[in-house]
Amino acid sequence: MGKIIFLCMLFSIGVVAGNITIDDKQQVQEKCLQCHNQEQIPNGLIYRRYLMKYSTKEAMKIAIMKYLKDPKQKNSIMPHPFFSKFSMKEVSDLDDENLKKNIQTFLNTFDLKKNLVLPE
Amino acid sequence: MLKSEKKSLIRFLLIYFGSTFLLFSIASWIFYTSQKHHLLDQQRDALKFESTQVISKLRTLHKTYTSTLTYPVDPFVKSAIYDLDKRYIFGTDKQRDLLTQQEYMVIESKIYYLSKVEPYYLGAAFLLVSKELDEKPIMELKRNIGLFLLSAGMFFALLGLFLGKLFIAPMRESIEKMNHFIQDATHELNTPISTILANIEMLETFGKCKKNDELKRIEIASKTLSLIYEDLTYLNLNHNYYRNIESLDISNLIQERMIYFSVMAEKKNLKFEIEIEPDVVLEIDKNDATRLIDNLISNAIKYNKIQGLLTVILSQDSLRVIDTGGGIEKKDLDTIICRFKRANKSEGGFGIGLDIVNQVVESYDFVLDIHSQIGKGTEVVIRWEK
Repeated sequence: MGKIIFLCMLFSIGVVAGNITIDDKQQVQEKCLQCHNQEQIPNGLIYRRYLMKYSTKEAMKIAIMKYLKDPKQKNSIMPHPFFSKFSMKEVSDLDDENLKKNIQTFLNTFDLKKNLVLPE
Repeated sequence: MLKSEKKSLIRFLLIYFGSTFLLFSIASWIFYTSQKHHLLDQQRDALKFESTQVISKLRTLHKTYTSTLTYPVDPFVKSAIYDLDKRYIFGTDKQRDLLTQQEYMVIESKIYYLSKVEPYYLGAAFLLVSKELDEKPIMELKRNIGLFLLSAGMFFALLGLFLGKLFIAPMRESIEKMNHFIQDATHELNTPISTILANIEMLETFGKCKKNDELKRIEIASKTLSLIYEDLTYLNLNHNYYRNIESLDISNLIQERMIYFSVMAEKKNLKFEIEIEPDVVLEIDKNDATRLIDNLISNAIKYNKIQGLLTVILSQDSLRVIDTGGGIEKKDLDTIICRFKRANKSEGGFGIGLDIVNQVVESYDFVLDIHSQIGKGTEVVIRWEK
């Protein structure tokens, strides 16, 4: 019983803290990254481009959401030559809630902050 | 030093030191502020350069695809990056409350520089760099200004004392002159008054005796008092009383005054040599002319030797009064006409006689010449243009 309570608490803390759960990661993998990987789209590069332009996660979420809901070149952060190499994605069939969740997972996955360290 | 002198000197020094101190303090403060800004600017520029270095490293880091990104660290400079909403991202010194609009800040012993990062490498919109303020040049500046103020203070203190003494010197001279005047005046008034009183007493005691001598002494003393009164009144009112300029027969006036002084001259057994040209007329106020003649004759009597010769020569363009007294030293001739100046202190007097003579001479554009030889006598010449 104690173990169950402990696991529940750990799960809750994970959700609240914005940590990626296995389910979230799987969903992003299936709905987004699978296709990216097949077309060899550099996810890290895309994240950094958004980061370099919008600075905050909130601004990045809005910009990505806008593109996913209306995937046109004018809503994209990628430069024009990118679309001559990679085709424009289709409109997502996910609802807003799932889109938001996946965007959050995407941002958490490629978050650079966790990679930053001080020299020893 | 007299009390009034001390008071004046202290007041002068207070004003002098106060104004000098204020002036130097303001000048030093302005200099210190400008120099401090200059020194701080140098440190700010250095910090600004450090921040560009950090931004350059952030750019490199942004393009690095490794599992760990090592944040650039400098042993002397602390830094932190913040996103567009001013949320702390990473760094060596978290100072979120310093993200104001100011580029530079000096807080306690630290200097801060806030720069904007664009594009947002690693999501950083702001970079705050800081380092310990180098207080050494500022302390040195303070020490130098302090030393300057100290040495300038000492220099100006000495200068102030010197100037203060110069400042009170004329006052001191005036006070000394006034003291001498009071002493002389007391003595001058005392002598004739005592003479009058003593002779009146003698007349009362020896009422039946011959009274000529006593009465003559009383007359001389009274005339002396009258002369003193007239001179002092003249000096006091010289610039204020109304002058009645008239055609005055100087020849008659001199003869009148010679009679007036005859008793005094007799007392010294003086011989007269009088050459008065008749009908010498001058446009002059009678009181001025009387003071001029009285002082010349009374001086010639006073400073003459016993059984000496008193010569008075009046011509159409000059008056000469010559005595056979002790004479005036050459060094005193230029200053003898100054008020309270007395060349011979063995005789009574205030030292105002020739001052009055000179004032009258200057008022009417006459010319005054004094020739004197020690042991032989003095000749005073007044010339005028007809």
